[in-house]
Amino acid sequence: MDRGWIWVIPPLLLCLAGAVLKACRHRGEPRHHHQGWGHKHGEATLSIDIYAYMSKISGWNPGFKVGLSVILLLMCVIANNMVVSLSVILITSTVTVVLGDMSLHHYLNLLTVPVVFLVAGSIMVLINFSWTPVAGAVANLNCHWFTIYITATSVHTTLLLWGRAFGAVCAMYMMSLSTMSGEIFSVLRRCHVPKLVIELMNMMYRYIFIMLDTQSRMKNSAQSRLGYCDFKTSIYSFGQSMGNLLIVSMKRGSQFYDAMESRGYDGDLVFLEEEKPLDKKMLLAAGLVISYLAFVWFVTTRGAGYYG
Amino acid sequence: MKKKEIRIVAASIGFALCFGIMPVAGAMHIMEGYLPVGYCVLWGVVAIPFLVWGFLSIRKTVSENRRSITLLAMAGAFIFVISSLKIPSVTGSCSHMTGTGLGALLFGPAAVSVLGIIVLLFQAILLAHGGLTTLGANTFSMAIAGPFLSWGIYLLCQKLKANRKVGIFLACTLGDLFTYCVTAFQLALAYPSDNGGVAASVVKFLGVFAPTQVPLAIIEGLLSVVIVIALESYASPELKSIGFLQGGSEE
Repeated sequence: MDRGWIWVIPPLLLCLAGAVLKACRHRGEPRHHHQGWGHKHGEATLSIDIYAYMSKISGWNPGFKVGLSVILLLMCVIANNMVVSLSVILITSTVTVVLGDMSLHHYLNLLTVPVVFLVAGSIMVLINFSWTPVAGAVANLNCHWFTIYITATSVHTTLLLWGRAFGAVCAMYMMSLSTMSGEIFSVLRRCHVPKLVIELMNMMYRYIFIMLDTQSRMKNSAQSRLGYCDFKTSIYSFGQSMGNLLIVSMKRGSQFYDAMESRGYDGDLVFLEEEKPLDKKMLLAAGLVISYLAFVWFVTTRGAGYYG
Repeated sequence: MKKKEIRIVAASIGFALCFGIMPVAGAMHIMEGYLPVGYCVLWGVVAIPFLVWGFLSIRKTVSENRRSITLLAMAGAFIFVISSLKIPSVTGSCSHMTGTGLGALLFGPAAVSVLGIIVLLFQAILLAHGGLTTLGANTFSMAIAGPFLSWGIYLLCQKLKANRKVGIFLACTLGDLFTYCVTAFQLALAYPSDNGGVAASVVKFLGVFAPTQVPLAIIEGLLSVVIVIALESYASPELKSIGFLQGGSEE
């Protein structure tokens, strides 16, 4: 056991304390299962958006949340260090699940989204092919014509990859599960992303819900007319409904412009934003977390090459 | 019709044989944190000229006609919706279209590059497909390389006076396949193989995604043709207004 691992212990304690706090908070409550939210027909798309609205920390300053998440995300990716990744995973998960009061079940469910890609992508990093068995490999699998082999380096790379990817995903979830999309756009606007792009984002975000709603109704009605009874029919129905969706939305787009223009739209979408002042204590906590991670990064990469 | 049926049967056999078990959830998005930081920056930089070009083209369109901004936003939302919906597949696995190939045919590749990066950002934030650090790489493969190839192939087919539907099918299928090849290349560049280097690694990554992506590309091509047929029969004026069907070539 290497000594660098002890630096995981403080975040782990934080996480455990969070778990205890969450357990106490929900003690005695009956287990309830949410099933009745919007966009239920067929797919649970955009559930992240719903969680963002329900989050207890949606009242925090959005710029602060986006900034902190991006800094942690970048630290995780740049450090490429197992201890830093694990710390990021523990800290951000605690923030999302305990402070944001999100159900752990839903959170874990969301974490499985990228797993498929990660599995497929990391198998290929893990294994290598060769015509002849390789000396010094951890495992050699002889497949008659060629050999599949795993080396210690590839195992190490894969583990690092898993840690880094999950750390990055957790850091991004901390942002997207607590910040409403409109607020993310306004943060981007303050970062001087062109106005036209921000405007497109705002409109697209709204149209997506309209379209998904229209599409799910189209799908329901096609389904009730046996439109998805076999593969060929479903290809046809899907294509037809998509074509129809585009037609309907193009017509609506034109109407929306009329509606906006009649309300005084002159190329500037201005939204009323809730003021969410930045708390000094929070800034301090964030600074602490970042400097802790920087410290761990420094200590573990200087000590042994194993982590980095 | 016969040919189409054969294609569908072949696609379904491919699906059933190769991917009866493993679900495919947006497998072609490179996930958050997968690429080392150098490659994130590299692909972001590569994508920038295209984005600037796309942005200028969009700005020109909008300044000529302010009304087109809602249409552009609708187009972007359409690309998001079409790429986030599960498409029918025989095994009931969960697979998605890219949607950008069709988008390029309908709205032009320059506009799609900007709409594409917004869509990818939304997918990262709202669906956790792809990510913020890999945004550059994903944008290059899905919103630039694929659409530009689709657009080129479509133009080429028009030049060669090929059947319009065949052109659309080829453009969307090959565009999707190209997206997948570019992604495999991006992955391989970041993780070269121990012996054989990048080239061997490209083969590995192509191999692991081929069973899903090849049938998916064919399905994407078929779906695009069906969508365009539906559009042509019900909305030729709208299609002309967004610049598709120009010259009304072979109708």
